[in-house]
Amino acid sequence: MRRTSTLAATAALTPLLVLGLAACGQSTGGATADAQPESGPVTISYGIWDKNQVPAMQKIADEFHAANPNVTVKIQVTPFKQYFTTLQTAAAGGGAPDVFWMNGPNVKLYAANQQLLPLDQTISRAKLDLAKYPEALVDLYTYDGKRYGIPKDFDTIGVWYNKALFDAKKLAYPKDTWTWADFQSAARALTDKTKGVYGAAAPVEDQAGFYDTIPSAGGQVIDAAGTKSGFDSPEALQGIEFWTSLVKDGASPTVQQMTDTSPGDMFKAGKVAMYWNGSWAAVEYSDVPELKDAVNVAPVPAGPKGQVSVIHGLGNVIYAKTKHQDAAQKFVGFLGGERAAQIQADAGAVIPAYEGTQEAWVKSMPQFNLKAYVDEVATAVPYPASKNTKAWTTLQTDLLTKVWNGEVDAATGLKDLATQMNAALAKEK
Amino acid sequence: MAGVLTDREQASGTVGATAPAGSSSGSGSRGDTPAPGRRPGRPGRSHQPGRGMSRMRRNDLFWAAVFILPTLLGLVVFYLWPVVRTLLISFTETGPFGGSEFVGLANYRELFGDARLWETMLNTVKFTVVALLGIPVALVIAALLSTEGLRGVRIYRVLYFLPVVTMPAAVGLIWRTLYNGDVGVINALLGLVGIEGTNWLSNPATALYAIAAVGIWLSLGTQIVIFLAAIQGVPKDLYEAAALDGAGRIRQFWSITLPQISPSVFFISVLAVIGALQTFDLIFVMTGPTNPAYPQTETIVAQFYQRGFVENQQGYAAAIALVILVVIVAVTALQFRLQKKWVHYV
Amino acid sequence: MSELTTGLPRRPRPKPLRRRHLGVHAVLILGSVVMVGPFFWEVMTSLKTLGETLTVPPTVFPRSPRWSNYGDVFDTLPFGQMFWNSTIQTLGRVLGQLVLCSMAGYAFARFEFRGRSLLFGLFLSVLMVPSQLFLLPQYEIVAGLGWLNSLQALIVPGLFSAFGTFLLRQFFLSLPRELEEAAKLDGANHWQIFTRIMLPLAKPGLIALAVLDVLWSWNDLMWPLVVNNDPSKMPLSVGLASLIGQFSVDTTTLMAGSVLATLPVLLLFVVLQKQFIQGIAFSGSKG
Repeated sequence: MRRTSTLAATAALTPLLVLGLAACGQSTGGATADAQPESGPVTISYGIWDKNQVPAMQKIADEFHAANPNVTVKIQVTPFKQYFTTLQTAAAGGGAPDVFWMNGPNVKLYAANQQLLPLDQTISRAKLDLAKYPEALVDLYTYDGKRYGIPKDFDTIGVWYNKALFDAKKLAYPKDTWTWADFQSAARALTDKTKGVYGAAAPVEDQAGFYDTIPSAGGQVIDAAGTKSGFDSPEALQGIEFWTSLVKDGASPTVQQMTDTSPGDMFKAGKVAMYWNGSWAAVEYSDVPELKDAVNVAPVPAGPKGQVSVIHGLGNVIYAKTKHQDAAQKFVGFLGGERAAQIQADAGAVIPAYEGTQEAWVKSMPQFNLKAYVDEVATAVPYPASKNTKAWTTLQTDLLTKVWNGEVDAATGLKDLATQMNAALAKEK
Repeated sequence: MAGVLTDREQASGTVGATAPAGSSSGSGSRGDTPAPGRRPGRPGRSHQPGRGMSRMRRNDLFWAAVFILPTLLGLVVFYLWPVVRTLLISFTETGPFGGSEFVGLANYRELFGDARLWETMLNTVKFTVVALLGIPVALVIAALLSTEGLRGVRIYRVLYFLPVVTMPAAVGLIWRTLYNGDVGVINALLGLVGIEGTNWLSNPATALYAIAAVGIWLSLGTQIVIFLAAIQGVPKDLYEAAALDGAGRIRQFWSITLPQISPSVFFISVLAVIGALQTFDLIFVMTGPTNPAYPQTETIVAQFYQRGFVENQQGYAAAIALVILVVIVAVTALQFRLQKKWVHYV
Repeated sequence: MSELTTGLPRRPRPKPLRRRHLGVHAVLILGSVVMVGPFFWEVMTSLKTLGETLTVPPTVFPRSPRWSNYGDVFDTLPFGQMFWNSTIQTLGRVLGQLVLCSMAGYAFARFEFRGRSLLFGLFLSVLMVPSQLFLLPQYEIVAGLGWLNSLQALIVPGLFSAFGTFLLRQFFLSLPRELEEAAKLDGANHWQIFTRIMLPLAKPGLIALAVLDVLWSWNDLMWPLVVNNDPSKMPLSVGLASLIGQFSVDTTTLMAGSVLATLPVLLLFVVLQKQFIQGIAFSGSKG
């Protein structure tokens, strides 16, 4: 109904049109409450942020459409950088997608503000068994005792390495039993200033960085209740210094260098030997012919308190103000099923959350040691989040960048961060 | 410069230069006697002028409404109302998903007590001052391009104008690769003459100036073209007289060209200041919160974006927007006051 | 274009005089390199491999041009659709403003009515207001109309321009009144006078506005970024910006995307350079 052919009319009649449609717009507010099946064909929108997953999502949408010919799913990709900004503005304006991807840092914010549809009805209609998903992820999408998201996938963190750079220095590749010390001495040994090669990249990065090393040292970013910062603990300091010492030793490029050229690019170009990255990276590396056989992945090295990766997973959620509740529920039910998980596993883009489908993912790229990612689940810690996660992750970036850059010493910087983060957390109440 | 000269020509009555291209039907319509084809189809309906003031006024009012109303409505809906609305928002604290409560002046109190506001203001001022340095550069290039008998002016003008037509987002990307500390071409060139460069965009000491330089690069073409047009408009006999007095090129520039084109210089400086005070696109593309130089480059508009669209504090952001408004109005007013001292209208 | 270079005759002159320009040329050529060099580097980078972009010292020419970087852009973005969206957004805004602004500008220039200067002042006041003040409420309105992710969201708020009205009013003011007086005596009404006499005369002003609108619309980033998050409804500027900072997108792809996104207006500029430059110069003389 909103077609480009109205352009000429729009140009000529704009003022009338604006006023007329404004009136229309106001009158469409009411029909949201229940899941009455709609008679005619409907189109629902599905908001996602990862371009690499479009083929898998499209396949799921197509199969869903084949089973429900009345419902067409239209995929909307918004790059992650803008995704939540746009989503929030869209939700405030009543125009968020009918179904969309949600992540840990944001789910509580959306649930607490009545932007998400509680999924009890969806779960019972599709007969979903929540025991089939990792418990940490089901809990992540539970707020106030209600389920708001069906786990879609999960990701853990691994150490990607460039085989040629290890071979050049005659060093053994990283393995399961590596400790922090092994990692750091390898990083130093791999560094070759004359060739512009660094042993590791230590960017100011949370998920594939200090969110792993802080718990590995026995600390936590935020307490389990999500009310208190853990950055001012000695363990957190240890987890941060794991990274800053690499920069100080010259075994990693400086923050300034990694701002100019992303560490991911440096790794892909063979300028960085070891790079921590999530399981989502596998499909990207396997798509590049030059990288496909040149890199591999190992689990994160064990810190003082063992081998710990952070686990995070996306959830599929329904917009509370969707105009097609029935169709949206059917679709999310389908997304939560084994078939949709199987399609994701075959595509290899992510590790599906549904029990028993991970093996297909591991086998989808046999040249990589993807089992490392799946094995890490046993000791993984949940992704740190609170109701307004963004308020303190912004502080985190600001203050830790100063620590990395040497403007502030780590102990002072972390104490500062904890104080400010606690103030932000206090505001959430 | 036809675009500039045409209205001069038209003012002096030589309309012929432009009319034929524009009107297909009325080739004979120039001058005092309109061609028959120009007659209105329904003479009976026509509004005869000169039938008394009030009648004409009312007639004008009707037509003015027809002509202005569409734009007026659009401006009211999309521009004037939003200003009022933003003012209202600035007195509220917005929930993350709309829904807001009145908080009075709380946003303003918080804003003026926030050290970040003053930092971003200072960055903005630095940025603006550097941006103004582009004007003398543009003047010199325009003066050189006006050299009597110079060849290739047309080509030069196109080359200097090229950045004006390119997308700022793309421009930011290009310069990011040029400024790269390790592999950037700028440092490679500096290395040839024995200077060791830096990470221009992530070094807190250089980032702001590096971005401002790109801002100048982007707008130089516009400024040159406008100055060139203005220099064309300077009466030639002034130069001839000066030349007879033995004034050289440089003295002619200072004593004739510059005073004569000072209205254009003023116009450009107002535009440059307003543009620089609102710098955002380049900052957005070339730095970012993870950049160690971000605190030294964040402008007030970038802070507005951060608050309003990243941290979802619409009320606070609205208050920043109003501060930006006040700053721009004040600075522009100041420029208009100062212009009396140096702008010569001929 | 020769009228630009100088008002003085440009006849062949004695050689020594031309040699005197050597210094001028030297400076201007050096400046040209600074202005054009980045584009050259952009094109070169867009044809390199990621590895080549990270070599020290940087190489100028790619060892063998890697055209697939351009293919990557098309894989990454629905480029054709975005190109169309940018075109529609630009055409819609330009045509709309030409019609609406010329009408309003003419009315302000020629009609006498009570409150005219007040109303004009109101228009001018919009010019002074930084765009940040419009953004949030404009979004509210467009969302309220159900226009998110639509082409009209890109176009409609851009149809109305205080600047365009001001620019064209200044232009109409500079036109002689005699023709209109004559037409009036001849029984023409305002609409007829406007469309048949004034608009053709206003061509330079209209071209100036069109040029400025093309540049503004094609490159506009913030507004489309906020209202259209569906790639099939994004213009190129947003498509390109959305690639920045994505881990999976290489510098080389970004450069190729930059080339493709800037190319259309660049080509338009090469074909219509006279109109572009005159348009800018004109706005300078009127503003």
